[in-house]
Amino acid sequence: MMSLIETRNMWKTYDMGAVQVHALRGVSMSIEKGEYVAIMGPSGSGKSTLMNLIGCLDTPSEGEYYLNGKLVSSMLDDELAVIRNKEIGFVFQVFNLMPRASALHNVELPLIYNGTSKEDRLRQAMKALEVVGLLDRMKHRPSELSGGQRQRVAIARALVNEPSLLLADEPTGNLDTKTGKEIMDFLTELHRSGNTMIVVTHESDIAAFADRVIYLRDGMIEKDDVRKRAV
Amino acid sequence: MRIYWDVFMMALSALKANKLRSGLTLLGVIIGVTSVITIISALEGLSQSIEAEINKMGPTTFMVTRMGMIFSEEEFFEAIRRRPMKIEYMEAIEEGCEYCEKVAARTYTMVNVKYQNKKISRLFGIAATANFIDIVEYEVGQGRFFSQEEDHNRRRVAFIGTAIQDELFPNVDPIGKDIKINNIRYEVIGIAKKQGASFGHNQDLVVFIPLSTYAKDFGTSRRRLRNLAILVKAQSLELLDQAMDQTRVILRAYRHVPYDKDDDFSMLTADTIMDALNRVTKFLRLGLIGVTSISLIVGGIIIMNIMMVSVTERTREIGIRKSIGARRRDILLQFLYEALVLSLGGGLIGIAFGVFLGDVLIGLINMDMTPSLYAIAIGLGISTGVGLFFGIYPAMKASRMQPVKALSYE
Repeated sequence: MMSLIETRNMWKTYDMGAVQVHALRGVSMSIEKGEYVAIMGPSGSGKSTLMNLIGCLDTPSEGEYYLNGKLVSSMLDDELAVIRNKEIGFVFQVFNLMPRASALHNVELPLIYNGTSKEDRLRQAMKALEVVGLLDRMKHRPSELSGGQRQRVAIARALVNEPSLLLADEPTGNLDTKTGKEIMDFLTELHRSGNTMIVVTHESDIAAFADRVIYLRDGMIEKDDVRKRAV
Repeated sequence: MRIYWDVFMMALSALKANKLRSGLTLLGVIIGVTSVITIISALEGLSQSIEAEINKMGPTTFMVTRMGMIFSEEEFFEAIRRRPMKIEYMEAIEEGCEYCEKVAARTYTMVNVKYQNKKISRLFGIAATANFIDIVEYEVGQGRFFSQEEDHNRRRVAFIGTAIQDELFPNVDPIGKDIKINNIRYEVIGIAKKQGASFGHNQDLVVFIPLSTYAKDFGTSRRRLRNLAILVKAQSLELLDQAMDQTRVILRAYRHVPYDKDDDFSMLTADTIMDALNRVTKFLRLGLIGVTSISLIVGGIIIMNIMMVSVTERTREIGIRKSIGARRRDILLQFLYEALVLSLGGGLIGIAFGVFLGDVLIGLINMDMTPSLYAIAIGLGISTGVGLFFGIYPAMKASRMQPVKALSYE
């Protein structure tokens, strides 16, 4: 039985004209279903690149990546789009909500792209908003919501398709400490209720919420620290 | 299927969010489509009306004239030296052409018509033989056309168009009344059915008198009538060519045309007139449509430009959509829909304006016109084409963005 995430000697090389920059130099790791993992490292360590690859936003230059048993490293654009839609829920540092759309529409957007019917869409989107506690704000636009609320809408959007993996990239980076803690508590709660969670961060306080921390340096795994592995 | 509709709604809401920009872009297309449709519907109206005019001759009728249709200076100087047509030819054709059913002759001149103290100046006076009414499209509305005896006996009788009735006899029955044509008294014996306006002149503003009476009253001998044309109706469409051949032989004999010389007269059918006119107007049409199409291209370029700006501005939005599962096709369609809504919306408004303006333009030269389905179809086709052509590049650019790059775009 394969792990949820399995990477084998993954490289990512950027061609910067004359020089080649190796953002990742052979990353091999596996993450099981239900794990809570933080990926840590200083800036330039390759953690954003790794997150993009895990999130299927990009493909590795070399090596293999299996997600849920499927070899996604050699997939084409549109196949990756389907994987992102079904398997992955993104939570970004800058929220990345549609500014003109209501919270409800933002949350239902992933369902539009997989052809869910309007009734099912509304029902699922409202359920996701209820999970994040913002059902009463569903008609509000992002600009009418606080930072924490915006991030909750983004989390609802990530949850709405019931993905295999929640991927949070510096989820508290644009929030004050108190709100950041609330969001982390909430993500932890989501993990407890069965979601696989990967948080990319450069702050050790944030990484401390996870059960396992993968340290990256110069594009390689420096340390893979399992503190309290969930069963 | 559902997804196309949802993506379409996204496109609409993006357009709504930029009302001024969308409106200005729309305006570019509206101006382009309006100018093309105006020209097309005006030309279409013109040609319909010419065609209607020419078809009044009927498909089996041909006309023999001295000059015919002239397309060049040489033709003109050759034709102007030709001898005039004579009324005897009519009789000769009647006798000698076995495939001809009817032969009539007519000439025309500008006349003034008076009834009591009311007067109409410079209208068409047509002098014709009695069977003229059997060959052309004019029909008797009231009373009757003049008879062969009346023509023969040079009776002063007149058959008038409805416009003369309306102007000179607003409350009186004109039949049996005397009118003065160029100060000579004629009795009105019949009124034509209403014809409508066509091609710059009102076809109901016309008066018919017998050809012989005209020759007497207008001081020309019956032998030397200016503008004389002989109208011949063949027995059937199949026999039209034979009838024309026989007529040609008779006329060449009467006019002593040597066997190695071309005809010194012209024979025209509705078809040949139409062909010649189309030949002349073809380049005019192409030129006009070509010139106006430039504004349409400008409209298309405006769409493309706005879409390029829009794609760049919304790079981040594209990244977000891709990150949550939008495929290339979904993004492509969204932007293509935006371009199409702009171009088709502008197209529809442009068609409405264009048909209206075409109508006004045609109205200025006094013609009847029906809005042309052809113009509407062309307008829709063109604006869809413009939207697709100028919208596809920006949409493709959007759809091919790399999600990582798009998401990090500032």
